[in-house]
Amino acid sequence: MTEPASSPRVNRRAALKGAAAVAGAGTLAAASYWIGSVNRVSRSLGKKVIVIGIDGMDPRLCRSMMAAGQLPNMTKMAAAGGFSSLGTSIPPQSPVAWANFINGAGPGSHGIFDFIHRHPHEQCAPFFSAAETLPGEGFLELGEHQLQLDFWPFNHHPPETVLRRQGVPFWDYLDAQKITSVFYDLPSNYPPSPSQYGHHRCISGMGTPDMLGTYGTYQYFSEDSPSAGLDEGGGRRSRLKFEGDSARASLVGPDNSLLKNPTPITVDFEVHRDRASNAALLEVQGQKIVLKPGQWSRWTRLDFALSTPFPIPTQHAGGICRFLLQEVAPNFRLYVTPINVDPSHPAVPVSEPASFIEDVSRDLGLFYTTGFQEDHKARSNGVFNDDEFRRQATLVLEERLNLFDYAVQNYEDGLLFFYFSSSDLQSHMFWWNPEENPKHPSRSTPEALSRYQYVKDLYRRLDGIIGDIHDRYGGKATVFVMSDHGFANFGRQFNVNSWLRDFGYLNPRECTSILTDVDWSRTRAYGLGINGLYLNLKGRERDGVVEPGEEQERLTKQLIARLRAVRDFNGEKVIRNVYRASEIYSGNATALAPDLIIGYARGYRASWETCLGELTPDVLLDNTAAWSADHCADALEVPGILCCNKPLASSDPSLVDIAPSILNEFGLPTPATMTGRSLFQT
Amino acid sequence: MLTQLVVWLNALAGGIAGVALAPVAWLPGWLSATAIAVATGIAMLYVFKHTSNQSAIQRTRNRIRANLLALSLFKDDLRVGLRCQGELLAGAVRLLTLSFVPMLVMLAPMCLLLGQLSLWYQARPLAVGEEAVVTLHLANRDEQPIPEVRLQEAPGIALGAGPVRVPGKHLICWNIVAQEPGIHHLTFGVGEQTVTKQLAVGDGFLPTSLKRPGWNLTEVLLHPHETPFPAESPVQSIEVDFPERLSWTSGSRSWLAYWFLVSMAAGFAARPLLNVKI
Repeated sequence: MTEPASSPRVNRRAALKGAAAVAGAGTLAAASYWIGSVNRVSRSLGKKVIVIGIDGMDPRLCRSMMAAGQLPNMTKMAAAGGFSSLGTSIPPQSPVAWANFINGAGPGSHGIFDFIHRHPHEQCAPFFSAAETLPGEGFLELGEHQLQLDFWPFNHHPPETVLRRQGVPFWDYLDAQKITSVFYDLPSNYPPSPSQYGHHRCISGMGTPDMLGTYGTYQYFSEDSPSAGLDEGGGRRSRLKFEGDSARASLVGPDNSLLKNPTPITVDFEVHRDRASNAALLEVQGQKIVLKPGQWSRWTRLDFALSTPFPIPTQHAGGICRFLLQEVAPNFRLYVTPINVDPSHPAVPVSEPASFIEDVSRDLGLFYTTGFQEDHKARSNGVFNDDEFRRQATLVLEERLNLFDYAVQNYEDGLLFFYFSSSDLQSHMFWWNPEENPKHPSRSTPEALSRYQYVKDLYRRLDGIIGDIHDRYGGKATVFVMSDHGFANFGRQFNVNSWLRDFGYLNPRECTSILTDVDWSRTRAYGLGINGLYLNLKGRERDGVVEPGEEQERLTKQLIARLRAVRDFNGEKVIRNVYRASEIYSGNATALAPDLIIGYARGYRASWETCLGELTPDVLLDNTAAWSADHCADALEVPGILCCNKPLASSDPSLVDIAPSILNEFGLPTPATMTGRSLFQT
Repeated sequence: MLTQLVVWLNALAGGIAGVALAPVAWLPGWLSATAIAVATGIAMLYVFKHTSNQSAIQRTRNRIRANLLALSLFKDDLRVGLRCQGELLAGAVRLLTLSFVPMLVMLAPMCLLLGQLSLWYQARPLAVGEEAVVTLHLANRDEQPIPEVRLQEAPGIALGAGPVRVPGKHLICWNIVAQEPGIHHLTFGVGEQTVTKQLAVGDGFLPTSLKRPGWNLTEVLLHPHETPFPAESPVQSIEVDFPERLSWTSGSRSWLAYWFLVSMAAGFAARPLLNVKI
């Protein structure tokens, strides 16, 4: 029987050629993968170093709890290695302190001196010190849109957020030696600094913005909010108007930067309440959420559609949020978390490499990505009560613990860094040291005691984590548990600008804010940020009047003497020390440093208004805010902690010593860029 | 009438799929999705072979090949070139026409099959401890009062928040929490009547019916697992917002595209073996 002419013939030569081609391609792919793997493999040779960063953990409280047997794991680790106070940064603010840790050197190396900086050529316009969004350049107008095209022939520059931290982070030295380092929620590293050799991975922590580009803006919907809405520090209130038992509202998202006049993109949602069953239904972009009072929703994805000119397809940016139903009736109240960057499809890079956070999200689902996760602003503005704040902070901690489990499960060797923020933000609200301050700044004694118990409970929970790590890796890894600073109550606030006004350094007398109605021609010094004081120096500031040299020196001496002499109504010293930047900072990144750094005595801090340059009639005021403890005092008042499972040779360790110690553990010398020294070398 | 026919066909397909797709429950998702797509591709090819006019397809393909050859041979002759292009277009249309009958034959079984596959891949069952919103849609009958609706307690399921009644939309929502693995039944008391909705709880793969539909052709096609509510029922549908399944091969967002691509690839690959002209 003959084969039909049209049927395919198996050509042996062609088959062999095909097989050879497939085999060749396979071999090439396998070889490339192998070469890639060899290049990626860690050279830490099994060495393990684990750093647990616990923001704001206080050495005094730790010692007293250790003595009372309440932190058994920390006690055990301290017995094996050591426990010590850890010298913090000047000023002891978290971005500054963590940048000290990152560079192994002081602020003169990394250029972060406060939460807030100013550009002298703009006189005092404030910006966040750790990252700055630079405006774009050039655009193409199409109707109501403007496009920024960053390719030839347009070569526009779209707006860009840049990391302001300067100098060399210590992981770069590990990276260059092909030693793996993984950081979870690292502060002062947004946008994440790149890894040159691919051995460094990092999820950005404190400083990472929400989808609105802020440090976290919650949204709050209620029937008693002002009808026009209200923007308050860190939040936005909107009024809900029910028709029957249904209402419509909008979640405000990021600005549509493709418009000539950027306006926020909103996501509409519907609220239906059932008074009889005391529950509510939320309908958001096709998703239904049923909640009862006090109940949190899961993370909800939001899709923000950016309108584009025809024929460019609509662009999308994804965010996530959670809802807390606070009350159904008579006053419906709904809290919405800041809209976080979606870790499964990040709209902006929040990790290095960018895919790292997507990998984590594939395993863990959705989680907070903003730097400040505990919503202290909602508590400060009265949207949360203490219980609601604590519940939200506990949700954050539970998420962090899931992430911590993931981190440990996926850790083989090299450096593992993990950061906990709860101890800081819960302490700001609940801290109280009754031995030091018999009366709490804003709470009754029983209430203050019960809240302080929350802090102690949290310390015990964190001690459990330390125990877990110690049990798993105690004999195999060098484990550091460290905090960036400690805590003190904040009962009285000092307005630097009002003080300068009273002494005639800042004019006119009726000035209310240095950002709006100050007369720079009659102003010789001003305060901005929490601890910084700047001279209005000629040649540096746009409207400078103080002559550099002799006049500058005379004014500096006068200010230091007078500030050190400030006394409260009861004769207590308000300011422990005033530091000259020129004396305490060294390095290449001092251009934006304040001239003087004010170190407050325990119990005192810069007033809330001082931070953004506002003035108050009185210089010293009571602090009645829920934020009743702080650490932005003198660095000597609020050291952090260091607990290590390896004996410490240094008797006065400091934040800048951690990085050289880690490098030392991997056999690397202390680089010239660092001023710290290894804690294990005498 | 057509809806009733689809309901019967769904019942038949459900019976067959209950046996044929049973291995999906214990195979890895990528493997079952691939195996089903390959088997479907080959089956479609087989059906195509026996329901199409193979010799006419061969003739048309030969003509297309001849016109392509003519185009390259007479590329300097505009008239020949244009005529060949016209014939190529006509050939393509004829090929499509010749595919019409097999497509028509395969349409119904494919719709039924996809309905059955969506039960496995369109969503994943609730995990133990996981919450979900259940929505009951009532018929929009202005002349009748909204009946009282209760979701009854059932083993394996805990009631969370709700009900939230939204009269303007004729719906009632509850939050439920899955507590035990298995196929459970949510039971609703609607006035004097009792209606149920299936709820899948567990890890891995279980037939997961997103919605018990109303008497509507499209809905019955898309949600074949549970008996639809009669047209006169006060309840029009009950749905559960099961979570998405995340996977490139067998996940909610991509299983259909994966099935389509793999079945097409399998069909093309099997073409020489079955000696089919497409």
